[in-house]
Amino acid sequence: MAAVLHGDDHGHGHGGGFVENEVIYQETRDMRLLGFVLFLMSDVVLFSAFIFAYLYLRGTVPVWPPMMNGTQLPRLDVAFAAVNSIVLFGSGVTMHYALENWKHGKRGEFDFWMLSTIVLGTAFLGGQAYEYAHAQIGGWSGSIFGASFFTLTGMHGFHVFVGVVFLAVLWWQTKKGVYDETHHFGLTAGTLYWHFVDVIWVALFYLFYIF
Amino acid sequence: MAQLVKKPKTNLGPGFWPVTIFLAVLAIVSDYYVYVTPLSRFLPEAAVPADQIDALFKFLTIVGNAIFIYVVGYVVYFCIAFRRPKNAPANTIGVQIHDQPQLEFWWTLVPTLLVVALAIFSVVIWKGLQQTQGDVLTMEAIGHQFYFEFRYPKLKASVRDEMHIPVNTPITLHVTAADVLHGFWVPEVRVKADMVPGLVNTLRFTPTTIGQYRIICTEYCGSSHGKMIAKLYIDSQQDFGKWFAKEANIAASGGGGAAVALTTGQKDKGQALFGQKCSTCHSVGPYNQIIVGPGLGHLFNDAEHKQLVDGKDVTPENIAYILHNGYQGQLNGHVAVMPSAQANAISNEDIANLTAYLVSLSK
Amino acid sequence: MAVATRTSAPHAVLDHIHPEPESFVRKYVFSIDHKVIGIQYMVVGLIFFVIAGLLAEVIRVQLLHPDGRFLGGEQYNQVYSMHGSAMVWLVIIPLVTGGFGNFIMPLMIGARDVAFPWLNMASFWMFPPAGLLLFGSFLIGAPDAGWTEYPPISLLGPPGTSMWCAAIFLIGISSTLTGINFLVTILKMRAPGMTFTRMPLFVWAQVATAALSMVATTALAGALAALFIERQFGVPFYDPAKGGSPLLWQHMFWFYSHPAVYIMILPAFGIISEVLPTFARKPIFGYKMIAFSSVAIALLGFMVWAHHMFTSGMVPWLQLPFMILTMIVAIPTGVKIFGWVATLWGGSIHFSSAMLFAVGFILTFTLGGITGVYLAAVPVDLHAHGTYFIVAHFHYVLFGGSVFGIFAGLYYWWPKITGRMMNETLGKWHFWAAFISFNCTFLPMHWLGLLGMPRRVAVYDPQFTFWNQFASVSSFVLAASTLLLFYNMANSLARGKKAGPNPWGGRTLEWMISSPPPYYNFKKVPAVLGLPYDFGNPLPYLGLDNPQAEAATPSQTGQPAAAH
Repeated sequence: MAAVLHGDDHGHGHGGGFVENEVIYQETRDMRLLGFVLFLMSDVVLFSAFIFAYLYLRGTVPVWPPMMNGTQLPRLDVAFAAVNSIVLFGSGVTMHYALENWKHGKRGEFDFWMLSTIVLGTAFLGGQAYEYAHAQIGGWSGSIFGASFFTLTGMHGFHVFVGVVFLAVLWWQTKKGVYDETHHFGLTAGTLYWHFVDVIWVALFYLFYIF
Repeated sequence: MAQLVKKPKTNLGPGFWPVTIFLAVLAIVSDYYVYVTPLSRFLPEAAVPADQIDALFKFLTIVGNAIFIYVVGYVVYFCIAFRRPKNAPANTIGVQIHDQPQLEFWWTLVPTLLVVALAIFSVVIWKGLQQTQGDVLTMEAIGHQFYFEFRYPKLKASVRDEMHIPVNTPITLHVTAADVLHGFWVPEVRVKADMVPGLVNTLRFTPTTIGQYRIICTEYCGSSHGKMIAKLYIDSQQDFGKWFAKEANIAASGGGGAAVALTTGQKDKGQALFGQKCSTCHSVGPYNQIIVGPGLGHLFNDAEHKQLVDGKDVTPENIAYILHNGYQGQLNGHVAVMPSAQANAISNEDIANLTAYLVSLSK
Repeated sequence: MAVATRTSAPHAVLDHIHPEPESFVRKYVFSIDHKVIGIQYMVVGLIFFVIAGLLAEVIRVQLLHPDGRFLGGEQYNQVYSMHGSAMVWLVIIPLVTGGFGNFIMPLMIGARDVAFPWLNMASFWMFPPAGLLLFGSFLIGAPDAGWTEYPPISLLGPPGTSMWCAAIFLIGISSTLTGINFLVTILKMRAPGMTFTRMPLFVWAQVATAALSMVATTALAGALAALFIERQFGVPFYDPAKGGSPLLWQHMFWFYSHPAVYIMILPAFGIISEVLPTFARKPIFGYKMIAFSSVAIALLGFMVWAHHMFTSGMVPWLQLPFMILTMIVAIPTGVKIFGWVATLWGGSIHFSSAMLFAVGFILTFTLGGITGVYLAAVPVDLHAHGTYFIVAHFHYVLFGGSVFGIFAGLYYWWPKITGRMMNETLGKWHFWAAFISFNCTFLPMHWLGLLGMPRRVAVYDPQFTFWNQFASVSSFVLAASTLLLFYNMANSLARGKKAGPNPWGGRTLEWMISSPPPYYNFKKVPAVLGLPYDFGNPLPYLGLDNPQAEAATPSQTGQPAAAH
């Protein structure tokens, strides 16, 4: 059953299509899409658990940011994070265009938008590294501020990193001819994952930099 | 979709009604026994609200017992009555009935009504647990690995392993822990509270029966958790007084009386006392350096908090007032309880010393 | 009745049979066949059941004497912490989801495998390492603060506590992936004509359980990760001295662990709902109510977690909604119990070993459920929390419930899985010995708790000696009775009678194929015309492989049924 799905008998299959059996492809694509969405839902629960922890701990102290060693910790740098956020959201836009172009067979444009997404995603990670190096909130273990901020954004950053790798692999796969205009579940999954990462960042940006 | 292959016989089976009636009799008789038997026969009720909790327990038992008797009774009866006889063919089928909407309606409705009744009864009893009336003895219990520490008003030192309380006196017991989670439970009192480091939980009860009881730790706290037991003595008023006097190093000081001459307060004595009595909950840092209560180091020069926590101006007299009367109210959305001088076991002289010390921190 | 036509959509995927693997390793070790994976889960789960059961016997030996002569306090705490952790995460959850869910559920819906067979294999292969990681903690100091590992003490606990975090995290990933797998399988791969209201109740139970696994487990992953990084790197989440909150752990832990108990019981409910109709030879009573109540229980299961925290110091008014919601769960649960009892009424009952355990389940689970309602009432819980009353309650629902359900499932589906019959006489001995000794072990714990014996104690007040000794001796009998089961299984594999496709006369799809099934399950996926519980009617399937099975009559000797 698995053999037909990636079209790796492309050219060897029965009937002349990109995949061996279109009906089977569509059915398995539906199942894989549902499975992937359910996976993203369980990932949302993971982030929600830590967001709950952050809000709960925040509710136990009278001021935010909290005290550490007798002085109040500073707030994070909204301006820098806002710029970095635009970088990340921009990469969501580029990803959208990448998929659209792919679906319309515009391979050259796809390459541009896809690589832009990867570059922007990597830039976001660089921005986060800068933020981590310059945040003056007492480090990961200094206070509940550091605990929640670095853990949550660290988890998110890990997801972005995995996403960048995922997108790079997908791009490489397009070069090897794994997908075509109507059979590209991997690209759909990659796009969904990338948008998921963006949505989580909207929540985290609000919770740590605005709220 | 639910089609009956055979119309079910109106005969519910051999002996169904006799069994039903027998189970009813069994349920009624056993429930009556539950109803009339005081639970205190098994475990004394040594305080209010033990009797109320026992009443709720009885209600649960009466309902649960009846349901259990019927479930067990019918299961056993059906297994006997409807067992396939040995000589019947293996593929003999039973009555092909899928459902009976009327029956299902009732066996959903009746439990729902029972749950509603239980919920109402439980909320009523629950409300009774939330407060006590009358002159209350407020005291503290602190859990340690592996002993209980008790603090009383008018006692300078805390007491270990033995808790004495006077009968018929409402008790407000604040519990917390010094290291890890512990639990405070006296089975005869029926209520328990976890002792959580960094948090103060409150138990309210009124002891009604003189005697000696066990205080048991009910939250795993380490290798000697099973040995963490203390003794609770519910004493007569007289015996309590005798015990208390024995424990007290100094004569109890009363509330009220002439205003303390604060200029005579000694700040070094105040500092020592602060460390002993106050530092569990207060730091000497700025207001926001909160342990349980606000930091007290900048009372006179805090731009953000120009009044004391009760809204009064920051003066030595008003500080002494809080030290004397304690404070109960809201602090940043949390309920805050600061014990009074009586609960903290500090004298007027102590108040003067403390005030002098606090003034010295920021004036 | 509309006849379902066999078109290629939407189940063309089911028509596809891939070639059977050839090497031993691909067939039995790294297999993607749900049946092999199911057996693997069952074997490993049963091994951990024996180990965790031995730990239980160590507990009971310790508690023979009130003054704790057998073990030191520290060792004792490690023993019961590992007993509980293993039973929950290495025994019951894997057996009922990865074991029975994997083997039986795809057969019951007429599928050839689960939606993601490779993921299924990956899920299984996380299980033995997680178990090794958990038990490996004994080497460096096993966790000792119960299966609940409350901070602050779990922050200070032995080094093995961090291994515990990692082990449960790993098995949690496995569980989440299995939940996703099963959910997609049931939603997308049912045979043509099998609408939701024609699904067997075991499948309803598995879909509700899969949803719970999928949603709740990652919350535990979060809690465990936080505990781990706080222990290892000092990151403050739970330690009040550093600004953290012990209650935060309790909220996060129980947000998963309450749904977890429904993960443990719902599949057992499903097993009972299959065994009872088969051996009473009549439909399950109130199919729709039982099906929907599984969903209701799963949903409500997410809303009651803080009933484990009534004494913890959360704001008092919060106790009320959790109390009321917990009481409400009693209603769909009661509906199920009454439905099962009514299934027995008017039956033509044959007391196979599976049926005995199913009937026993009704009795013990009902008692456990009733004590649960006691605990829902906050004022009563304030007395009973942290005592042996709790231990009694959860053993009634987890042993008298889940484990009895597992036993029923083992006896019921053993012929299908192995192609052999178990010895029914031994099975009956197992049942009676287990049922009686189980009740003798755990019933006294109710009053031990109410009268003042706390839980998690290596020593106790001498007034409780008699009932502790009674419980301990009974537990030795219970352990011995379990040996009967293992002997029966081994003996059956060695020289049990060969089983036909349908020794019990069941009507769900797994009984329509050979025992054990061929690797492709169904040569042709049948169409489903109705519920599988109408024993008076012809089978509701079109296009079965084996016309002999259409007779669907049980054989009392276990030989293939003769056609009628």
